Amino acid sequence: MAYLAELAVRGVLLGAIYGLLALPMSLTFVTVGSIDFALGAYAVLAAAVGSTIGGVAGVAAGLGAALAAAAAMAAIFAGLKRVGVDEPITISLASFGLAVAIGSLILWVWGTRAFVLHSFDDVWVLLGIRVGPQSLINFAVSLLLLAVIHFLLYRTGLGRMMRAAAINPAGAELSGIPVTTLQTGTFVSGGLLGGIAGVLILFSAGLDFTAGLSLTLSGFGAAILFGAHGPLRAFLGGILMGVVEALSAGLASGAVSAMVPLVVIMVVLAAGTVGGVRFSGDRP
Amino acid sequence: MVKIATMVVAASLLTATMAHAQSPAAIKIGAVLSLSGPAAVFGLPERDAIEAVVEEINKTGGVNGRKIELVLHDDKTDPSEAVRGVTQVTRDGVVAIVGPSTGSGVLAAGPVAERLRVPLLAPAGTASITDKKNSFYPWVFRAAPSDQTDIRKILADMAKDGKRKVGVFYQEDAYGKVGLDYGQQIAKELGLQIVASVSAAYTATDLTAQATQLREAKPDAVFMQVSISALGASFNKAARQVGLEVPLYANAGLAQKSFLDAMGDSGNGVRVLSIGNLPYEPVEPETRLVALLKARGKTPQGWGELVGSNGLMAIVAAVKSVKGDLSGPAVRDALETICGFPTYSRGKGCFSKEVHDGWGEDVLVITEIDRGRLKTRP
Repeated sequence: MAYLAELAVRGVLLGAIYGLLALPMSLTFVTVGSIDFALGAYAVLAAAVGSTIGGVAGVAAGLGAALAAAAAMAAIFAGLKRVGVDEPITISLASFGLAVAIGSLILWVWGTRAFVLHSFDDVWVLLGIRVGPQSLINFAVSLLLLAVIHFLLYRTGLGRMMRAAAINPAGAELSGIPVTTLQTGTFVSGGLLGGIAGVLILFSAGLDFTAGLSLTLSGFGAAILFGAHGPLRAFLGGILMGVVEALSAGLASGAVSAMVPLVVIMVVLAAGTVGGVRFSGDRP
Repeated sequence: MVKIATMVVAASLLTATMAHAQSPAAIKIGAVLSLSGPAAVFGLPERDAIEAVVEEINKTGGVNGRKIELVLHDDKTDPSEAVRGVTQVTRDGVVAIVGPSTGSGVLAAGPVAERLRVPLLAPAGTASITDKKNSFYPWVFRAAPSDQTDIRKILADMAKDGKRKVGVFYQEDAYGKVGLDYGQQIAKELGLQIVASVSAAYTATDLTAQATQLREAKPDAVFMQVSISALGASFNKAARQVGLEVPLYANAGLAQKSFLDAMGDSGNGVRVLSIGNLPYEPVEPETRLVALLKARGKTPQGWGELVGSNGLMAIVAAVKSVKGDLSGPAVRDALETICGFPTYSRGKGCFSKEVHDGWGEDVLVITEIDRGRLKTRP
């Protein structure tokens, strides 16, 4: 039982990173109706730049690089929209292209080397569970960002405009809400959040040029697990994914443990859909 | 006037012919190596060593009085490019080829080598490349220890230290799975027991759950079958975090500098399988290869230089023993007769009709990470 509890705690700590990646996913999904596949690439770029420069300056430069890359995505989005292309699938594919481009750039500049920085060597024992301080920092930062975004969306005028732009873009536009500006801003904020995730992973497990797409998919999976309706559900989705992954990695052996999280995601999604059908008649 | 011109031309032709007679045509040897792509971490040092050794041989009189001409091709860590490379360098007239660098490249290029009748000296560990069931078996020789040999060396070191229970951490791909399978098989032979095996995808962001499962199984030592530096370093970190405090052994896939860099000081005490210890504690004859590399401004990396130069030296030894005309088939036949020929690595290279795996455990050493360097374990 203690072992299960330990795995669950490790899962929550691991899931915090997935949850953090899911936040920008859900924001983009809600305000633009699209997915930014380059999210993981922003994270890898931030880690690459951060590990090269090192220290606080490295963290700042890494986040700057991630923001710049996300600004490129925002520009692509704005450009596409200006020429009248605003289907979500086109924007997703454009972001996929950007992700591949960033991945190639990282491979070209840094090669196949691993990006890892060491933060703390000591280990804290909490309730008999050995935890590294970095894991707790990751969890705290993710939770803090969730709170900030939740507050922004539901307690500020900006958040109200974002939600309006998401629910009814045409109506929002007519009421004087700068929909395109809000949407490009959402893409840029994705760069910041992705970059923060990248820096946290840099100080935890580390990553290399191949990590981009799998980080994107982790964030995406977490965001849709409980329905892509907002940051809180997205974050909880990430936590659930982390817990399931940790339990299967800790209990099952090799081949099975890789499969279990995917099966659970499918089961949860299927259950969610079943429920949705049942209650779909309740409200117009 | 015309007569004089004719005489001049005739004279110069004669001189040219004489010069030609003085230095016979060079022996062409191919090298199809991964100079780009993921396997470049091994392919580039392979090339550096081969170039350095060829230069040295040519400076000291060549082979049987003939100089060596190297024909190089980058297989880009891509099997179809390896096939193209083998075809192309053979068309250029090589009598044998070092490469391709990767197991999948060798498996793809094997049938081509068989058809073009040119032997391959493969610096790859993948077991199946020298499987006797392959139709191209006669044409493929291994210039490195095989994966089984690597794992046997690691498990034997554990057994020597009195370890009985072994945990395995492997990456989710063919390399990782093969490591687990051989590990289970060889452990049984050595009287060891695999008490737990856990795996992770290349890009896992946290390995503490895997490390916790291994800790609960209470192994005496853990063996890592991983070739991704970040994954290896991340597992080491996780093991320390959850209190899995047993010796950690990394297989050949991590015998690369980027792994040492990623580990930093937290890597102290982790054991890494290596061919010799070229970068940090070279012994004779490795020291001579280090000198050749340094003279060309190269920093020795370790694994790649030794397997690359072993492949080349096997070809040189075979060429020396060929009587009569030099050709792919003649060099192939000679390769099956050479044993104990000079190389730049410790251990003895030996081929025969039945054995195409030229190097065994004696070429390998277990090293221990000590402040970013590899120390040879006694």
